[in-house]
Amino acid sequence: MGNQATNNSFAFRLFKDMQKDNLQYIYRGIFSQNITDSILSLTESNLEKSGESSKIKKRVFTIMVEGLQNITRHQEMDEKVDSSSETGIFIIQNQNNRYYITTGNPIFKKNIADLTGQLNKINSLTADELKSYYKDILNDNIISDKGGAGLGLIEMARKSGNKLVYDFVDLSENYAYFYLNTEISQGNEDASPTVQKATDSLSNIKEVHKILNQENIVLIFNGIFNQESLLNILSIIENQMMEQNLNLKKKVFNIMVEMLQNIVKHGTNSYEDGSNPGIFFISQKNEQYQLYTGNFIGFAESKTLKRKIDYVNSLSLEELNDFYEKSLFNFQVDSSKEAGLGLIELRLKTQKELLYHISTYNDKFSFFVLQTGVE
Amino acid sequence: MENLNLQHTEDTPEVILNSFDGSCFIEGRSLPENAVAFYLPIIEWLNTYNNEISAAINFEFKLDYFNTASAKQITKVMLTLQKIAQSNAVKIRWHYLTEDADIKSSGMRFAKLIKADIELVAYDDN
Repeated sequence: MGNQATNNSFAFRLFKDMQKDNLQYIYRGIFSQNITDSILSLTESNLEKSGESSKIKKRVFTIMVEGLQNITRHQEMDEKVDSSSETGIFIIQNQNNRYYITTGNPIFKKNIADLTGQLNKINSLTADELKSYYKDILNDNIISDKGGAGLGLIEMARKSGNKLVYDFVDLSENYAYFYLNTEISQGNEDASPTVQKATDSLSNIKEVHKILNQENIVLIFNGIFNQESLLNILSIIENQMMEQNLNLKKKVFNIMVEMLQNIVKHGTNSYEDGSNPGIFFISQKNEQYQLYTGNFIGFAESKTLKRKIDYVNSLSLEELNDFYEKSLFNFQVDSSKEAGLGLIELRLKTQKELLYHISTYNDKFSFFVLQTGVE
Repeated sequence: MENLNLQHTEDTPEVILNSFDGSCFIEGRSLPENAVAFYLPIIEWLNTYNNEISAAINFEFKLDYFNTASAKQITKVMLTLQKIAQSNAVKIRWHYLTEDADIKSSGMRFAKLIKADIELVAYDDN
């Protein structure tokens, strides 16, 4: 039980850390085409809701595409080495009305010099110079075997209107981890580069990344929870679990839907801006998945919720099954918001006690963390 | 009386309710945001069919996933079929993928709890 408290408060801490820097979405893992597509549509639907101008949306989108392609093309991995720190990472952050996109992937150390040269060259150019440099490369037809020739990087610099901030972190004898952080300027083309801020945000991200590696967290969504984002998150996880057996996949799917729809339906907005903030993350160790949700609930509701979970936890699996059937036919609880089955289902599916933690946030709201494990 | 045809979406199943011969079919996955609203027309259609046409019904369920909110509404569909079975022939076939333990046990649960002819039918993927 001590472990439960640690894990759960860790979830709240992670939520607070992510809120502080407004990291909206992190994906860490293998980037396949399907996963990339799902990430794009998830972010796209969140952008749609953000009320950004179409110009900004388009910029963010273009830079995301380039960044994600960089990862898929260049994730250079040594099969022999433990892959936990060698997976790609994608982060989108919206802070003080500015978007930051960070990508990370392992690269061969022998490529660092070339890459640094390209980045420094790009950073030394003005907007006009970048434009002609881009054309030059196209005309010269110098395309690398990976198809890039740095065009992606130039495009990112052009579309962002800012310098590219980067860093390399030592991984092993042959590998380093390459971080690339792009700030997307909001306003006019002449927005002054704020390299310092991007550099700061990159150093925070490196800290968060360490925690993600430690806990092997593969996906964090910290944003607006609605049916649309739920479907996108589901499709990312479905793609990531493609190789797993059907029953495990369905179990994870099942549990995710119930947990995420809990937030969609019961999450309370403490920010009074119409959003439904919360956090979802999933960690994976071998064939074991831990799923966490965190969301705000009204202080009074938290007591009722606690009673419900404690009751569900107190039942044997046989009693639980009876309770499920009784609830299935209890049409006094039957609305678009509540069927009264979610928690029972979660405990039946995981065959374990539901772990939870309720922290006081202020006098009106509590933060509710629910954790389930699937094997 | 009209048929009820709904195309499947990312979070709702395909529905075909045929008033000509009472053949009904629901296939896919079901996790809509508002399950009550999605299943209400199906229940209403069944009630209307029973009142206006009052003939046999063959209902095929071929779901590969449904959330708890849908489970409750599917229970209501089952109860409606149970009611119709008192006056007309009702045959329910619950299809499940052979290795899908979840859907199979849901079918067994309904077969146990609903007083109607429910047959479990296994199928293989391909």
